[in-house]
Amino acid sequence: MEQAILQEGVRRLVQNAVSTISDDARLLLRQALDRETNLTAQSMLSSMLENVDIARAEGKAVCQSPGYPTTYAFFGEDTFPAGLEKLLGAELVAATKAGYLRPSIVHPLTRKNSGDNTGIGMPNIEYIPVPGQQFVDLYISFKGCGAELGNAIEIFTPARLGKDLAGLRRFVLETAVKAGGKPCPPFAIGIGIGGQMDVCARLSRRAVSTRRWDDHNPDPQLDALEQELRDQINSLKLGAAGTGGDTIALGVKIAIAATHTAIAPVAVNFHCWVARRSGLRIYPDGRMEKLL
Amino acid sequence: MDHKILQIPLKEEEIRALDVGDVVYLSGTIYTARDMAHLRLRELAEGGSPVPFALEGGAIFHAGPVALRGEDGSWRLSVIGPTTSIRMEPHADFVGRLGVRAVIGKGGMGPDTLAACQKYGYVYLQAAPGCAALLARGIRSIKSVTWLDMGMPEAVWELEAECFGPLVVGMDSKGNSLYANIRAKALERIDTLYPLAL
Repeated sequence: MEQAILQEGVRRLVQNAVSTISDDARLLLRQALDRETNLTAQSMLSSMLENVDIARAEGKAVCQSPGYPTTYAFFGEDTFPAGLEKLLGAELVAATKAGYLRPSIVHPLTRKNSGDNTGIGMPNIEYIPVPGQQFVDLYISFKGCGAELGNAIEIFTPARLGKDLAGLRRFVLETAVKAGGKPCPPFAIGIGIGGQMDVCARLSRRAVSTRRWDDHNPDPQLDALEQELRDQINSLKLGAAGTGGDTIALGVKIAIAATHTAIAPVAVNFHCWVARRSGLRIYPDGRMEKLL
Repeated sequence: MDHKILQIPLKEEEIRALDVGDVVYLSGTIYTARDMAHLRLRELAEGGSPVPFALEGGAIFHAGPVALRGEDGSWRLSVIGPTTSIRMEPHADFVGRLGVRAVIGKGGMGPDTLAACQKYGYVYLQAAPGCAALLARGIRSIKSVTWLDMGMPEAVWELEAECFGPLVVGMDSKGNSLYANIRAKALERIDTLYPLAL
């Protein structure tokens, strides 16, 4: 893919993500506010929607924390986005200098801040080959790190999955309660199931980052499980901000992979409501379509 | 719900009168402090050095701003919102000993904070999570920044607040925590939905 085309795509991808929240999140927040019966939660949800409008009107970052950005590149045999690391790295530094991203990336042990969001392993990109695909789909998600403090992983055994997955469901609900207000709720949850620890962890982040939070899983069994878990988590009455109310989960997104006969790894991954996510389809001839 | 504008320095009796669920706004000087600032403050205090901030009757905000530096070296606030407070739980008693009357953040804190709120007379105030552009409207200016060597988020920013909020009293100094109540009820419900097998 031509560098100039990819560069323009990366610029749009980052700009869209840092300046506002994705429209699926905004829609779900609005619906949550319309349904909400708890006064504190109503106030919190109103503040969130107002905050998005103020950030847009004043040309400011929608949240002070840029979180940690992860990027996904789905590519075909002829559409590998060569040079993506360099272009994306430069774009993140530019967005930092412009005040859209607070410099927040540090060395994991010395805690030394690089000052421009660069560092070892940055930018973090996952490459996913899609045979036959004639374009490249890029997604980026700036996910806050209060959300990370709620995450959990568990290597289940077949017995512990339980009848009708009762063990797995209980684990997800307990994880949501433990997370409470930490992940800037109302949150969306990505659940990765299968593989080994690394596989389910990656799937959980990818599901909540790249799928629309109001979509349906093409697998009917997973779709039903997603909706049941979302409704059951909300029935716990934890509420927006975790201070009580009707909606703490905007959506649950599940992704699976085959695993070994002895285990069922499950990763639960929260995404804050400040959904600085965007997706863009880029064709080799320079055409682009907004995906998220 | 009760709405109040409180002036910093805060008085112990007005703080002890607050109940969980009350909504308050703050005016006066607020200091940001996150993980690293708490660690450095403790190191200073435990080494017998004075704490270089006016925290008696003061407010600590668990937050790191996006601040922009002008050509003259002055700082201008762009946006600021709360970070996850539970990380500061190990410092609950220390914060009380400093004379702090209000801790602002998001997500709530644990039993050590609840005990310290009662013992020293401070409250935990929940700001709307992720609402940095909205909350920045309640900050009139950046008065100073200290310990910038720790990076922009971790430095201590002295902010002039004017009607900063809304802030919900999440933990009062009477032993009540919104978070603990909600959590206990939620765990009960999980037990009815999916009783522990065996």
